[in-house]
Amino acid sequence: MTTLAIEGLSKTYADGTEALRDMHIVAHSGDIVAILGGSGCGKTTLLRLTAGLDRPSAGTIAIDGQPIEGTHPAISAVFQEPRLLPWLTVGRNIAFGGRRIAGPERQRRVGDLLARIGLAGNGARWPKDLSGGQQQRVAIARALIGRPEILLLDEPFSALDGFTRGSLHELLLDLWQEMRPTILIVTHDVDEAVFLADRVVLMRPRPGRVHETMTIGLPRPRNKLVTEYDITRRNVLRGIDRALAADRATRLGYGAVSPWV
Amino acid sequence: MTIGWLRGWLVALAIPVALGVAWELAVRTGVAPGRLMPPPSRLLHTAAALAASGELQKHVAATMTRVAVGFGVGAVAGTLMGMLTGASETARRLLDPSIQALRAIPSIAWVPIFILWLGIFETSKLALIALGVFFPVYLGMLSAIQSVDRKLVEVGRVFGFSRVGIMLRITWPAVLPTWIASLRSGLGLGFMFVVAAELMGASEGLGYLLLDGQQMGRADSILVAMIVFALLGKASDGVLVALTRPLLRWQDTVRGRL
Repeated sequence: MTTLAIEGLSKTYADGTEALRDMHIVAHSGDIVAILGGSGCGKTTLLRLTAGLDRPSAGTIAIDGQPIEGTHPAISAVFQEPRLLPWLTVGRNIAFGGRRIAGPERQRRVGDLLARIGLAGNGARWPKDLSGGQQQRVAIARALIGRPEILLLDEPFSALDGFTRGSLHELLLDLWQEMRPTILIVTHDVDEAVFLADRVVLMRPRPGRVHETMTIGLPRPRNKLVTEYDITRRNVLRGIDRALAADRATRLGYGAVSPWV
Repeated sequence: MTIGWLRGWLVALAIPVALGVAWELAVRTGVAPGRLMPPPSRLLHTAAALAASGELQKHVAATMTRVAVGFGVGAVAGTLMGMLTGASETARRLLDPSIQALRAIPSIAWVPIFILWLGIFETSKLALIALGVFFPVYLGMLSAIQSVDRKLVEVGRVFGFSRVGIMLRITWPAVLPTWIASLRSGLGLGFMFVVAAELMGASEGLGYLLLDGQQMGRADSILVAMIVFALLGKASDGVLVALTRPLLRWQDTVRGRL
């Protein structure tokens, strides 16, 4: 069982920009936690710190109580763009994520994953020959081949059309159900957060911080057409309004008051 | 595929062949004298005579050996130095300004000092060619390393690759296209510099053939040497492209090849 604990995490860049202040997020084993917020509220910074690509100015990231520094074998990531290596075939791109796995087992997993992402028989193709959605599927497979305990997703579906996004949500949930990694997904899409997550962490900007955390109690598999889904979605939207009001209040220098609450 | 290839050749040869035929006719009909600009038949005859006596092969071998050695030394040095300054900020600050200043010196300006330092024989010639090849390869490698996509390097980091692993698995393939392009321009400069080197005093080589033709008033030898240069340059570039093409199959470019 793996718990990811982000405690007191802050990031101030060399130019003095305070990107994140005192973030606290705990994701228990197998949880899907969505980090929801607008542009510039530090979502991507948070994910980069967690992935070990940047160093925090303060605070810790711990896996099962053990603080980690830099990248970690238990953590894998999918970025906003597929970031496939153009000089490797699709199969080799997937295998790239499984550096620590022995050769034959890695090949077996590549074959399995290609089938799971609907690209069986396409392992020898070049990334340039795939559509954007297919490339992102390959990126997901690459991130999962090493069976990571924690999977970080940085707005991985934001550049895709609605149809492709829907099918990738299904794919992600299928793979999650099978492998059960703890998922931290950054998004600005309310629907995506409600459909995928067990909990939604609402962020607000200047500097980026947690505004509130909401639990999504909807049963899985989730149906977007039921009233409960709509109610939950509206609750999250109200939360966003509260975050916006709080941000406005901070900027104007008075206490947090929202017309919506 | 074969028909397209044949058509490509025919199209490429159309203009030189047409010009050659026109010049041949002009000389044969007495419209042009043909003494300083001999017609193709004279050039073929001269080339055949040079080949039959073994002279042409000797000159070609001498020139190609110089280009090969000079290119090899210059390309290896340029690649290594480019890698060093590309990978290390300190090395770049320390070395790059001096190398750029040296690059600004006109190539011919090196000839007298190389002759003084290295003598009139092979070493000075090879040094001049290697120098000519070094700069484009160095510059290509340096700029290629500096423009490697940070996002792809981060992929390597997330999946746990070491600095060396990232160099081998990400940086190297990413710089290959630019590096190969710089090798090609280095090879072109190698041919340019071999002429300069052979003009500064040689007893064999196509550059010698040029100089000898000038001194003897043999326009046909000069033109034969020039045409052989063109053919050799094009052929070696073709070999380089053919050797490196498999490395660049993944490129998503307009033509899909160099």
